[in-house]
Amino acid sequence: MIEVKNISKHFKDVVAVDNISFKVEEGKVFGLLGENGAGKTTTLRMLATMLKPSTGTANIRGYDLIQEPADVRGEIGILFGGETGLYDRLSARENIEYFGLLNGMTKKDISVQIEKLSRSLEMEDYIERRVGKFSKGMKQKVALARSIVHNPSIMFFDEPTSGLDVTAVRIVHKFIKELKSEGKTIIFSSHSMNEVEKLCDEVGIIHKGKMIEVTSLEGLKEKFKEENLEEIFVSLVGEKNE
Amino acid sequence: MNKFTKIVFKKEIMDTFRDKKTIFSSIIIPIIIFPLIAFVIGLGSSDMVKESKEPVQIALLSEENNGLEMFLKSNDNVNIIKTKDYKKTLDKLEAKVVVKIGEDFDEKIKNGEKPEINLIYDDTSQKSEMAKSRIEQIILSYTNHIVVKRLENEGINPQILEPVDIKSSSVSKEGGTGLLLFSMLLPFMLTIWSAVGGIPAATDLGAGEKERQTLEPLLTTKANRISILMGKYFTVVLAGIIATTASLIGFLIATKINPEFLGESATLSIKSIAIITLVCLEMALAFSSIELAISFYARNFKEAQTYLSPVSILLMVPAYLTMFVDGRAVPEYYFHIPIINTIGIIKEVIVSVYDFKHILITTGWNLVYIALFLMITVKMFEKETVIFRN
Repeated sequence: MIEVKNISKHFKDVVAVDNISFKVEEGKVFGLLGENGAGKTTTLRMLATMLKPSTGTANIRGYDLIQEPADVRGEIGILFGGETGLYDRLSARENIEYFGLLNGMTKKDISVQIEKLSRSLEMEDYIERRVGKFSKGMKQKVALARSIVHNPSIMFFDEPTSGLDVTAVRIVHKFIKELKSEGKTIIFSSHSMNEVEKLCDEVGIIHKGKMIEVTSLEGLKEKFKEENLEEIFVSLVGEKNE
Repeated sequence: MNKFTKIVFKKEIMDTFRDKKTIFSSIIIPIIIFPLIAFVIGLGSSDMVKESKEPVQIALLSEENNGLEMFLKSNDNVNIIKTKDYKKTLDKLEAKVVVKIGEDFDEKIKNGEKPEINLIYDDTSQKSEMAKSRIEQIILSYTNHIVVKRLENEGINPQILEPVDIKSSSVSKEGGTGLLLFSMLLPFMLTIWSAVGGIPAATDLGAGEKERQTLEPLLTTKANRISILMGKYFTVVLAGIIATTASLIGFLIATKINPEFLGESATLSIKSIAIITLVCLEMALAFSSIELAISFYARNFKEAQTYLSPVSILLMVPAYLTMFVDGRAVPEYYFHIPIINTIGIIKEVIVSVYDFKHILITTGWNLVYIALFLMITVKMFEKETVIFRN
């Protein structure tokens, strides 16, 4: 379970995230919905221990974000942005193995995991090849495998489909659904209503650093008497902009 | 080295040395640069040496037959070019010098007057200048002959003109000029390479990692930041050491290509090599961390290259300043100045001066810099404003 408690982040005079709190139950997919610059990436970066919160903390599977950052990191896997962030001169296997080792796995365990992942993501043909000349879809698969190699119980996805073509988007969506079926807890940020509607159980709408609504998708639709999530979002954010 | 540092180090070494750019700038360039210089210098100087061994080509302007003309014609070191237009011949450097012998030359010599000899040459041409000096020497031997004759006619021993007998011999056991060049170039080269040899690797491991967007996933692994940083740091140090070794290999090849470049006999003892290795390693350890810090500060690869290029220029200043410092007389205070102290130590051991007080002072200072630079680098790597600057 993830429990975020009054978390804020200030960059000099700018308040990027302003006193946000929310809970994500185990096995649920939580969608963080907001415009560009709303504070989604900063929130996820804080939860992934990359940035230190200015105030507040979070409890991630029993570990305190501030007190036990290394333990928190052991529980999470991340995939940030549409760019895959791979080492071009390493093979797909070497890329995945590197992150497995840095997450404290043994070479034997990594090898078993890579076999499993390369089968499920259909990467067997190119697992030994250097990733430099891979297509975007192939790279995306390697990045997905890398993020999950240490079998984390929690996954953070920050706009994982931005800039991807339809095929690559489908790969990512399928992957997230599979993780959900395996019972992993997922926080997923996006500015695409469609994506959130397709994948999430609960949604948090973030605007100018503030969480303006946290509810289930059904709850949101019921509250606003509106089926179209985009309309709900515009009316919510529009109100705040006025 | 802790477990995670080792993992990062091993991966970075593999990644770095699969990069053609790094191999080119850290291994190939340092290996070929000195042989190339030696080859070019060899080409130029061997042309000059060849020229100096051949008879000097002159054009002669003389009104009548005289003793000097006869002397020059019979001299094996002189080749007289026949010409009508001496200016053209000189322009084309067919004749390197034109010797113009004044009127009534023999008559004037006989009467004790001073006949004129004009040497016309081109002072913008090194070959013409060299030929002028050679022909001057040849004419001088002719005039000396006249002086001796005159003195003998007066009944004076010509030896009176040489009141002392000057003999010179060098105490240097080996090397000589070669060793002098060796002691000028080797410290310069070793210090520079051990400090800047890691720059290509540092650029890739810091700013390159940011640009590829691989830094974020790296920071969310179980490995803490210090372990990641140290793994990268040791990679940059090793790249610096490899570049230094490569340049040393290049240096040795250069001496084989053109022995006159540095002197064949310039050798180093095991003790000297050990001391040089120690101070160069200290340089690599100090500079690698500061290069990595700059690279992490940069937003991208290009920015890192812009920030890191002044490091090389900064190093050139002390390296040039100390180029002509004598290894046997390095001022004491030099050993308290960064970079200069390292050059000072290398200069000393090349001429077999082993002053352990100097080595201790230099190492002491270098350790202070290593600690200070590492502290700055760790602080920078922990700063969110640096890591997420872009």
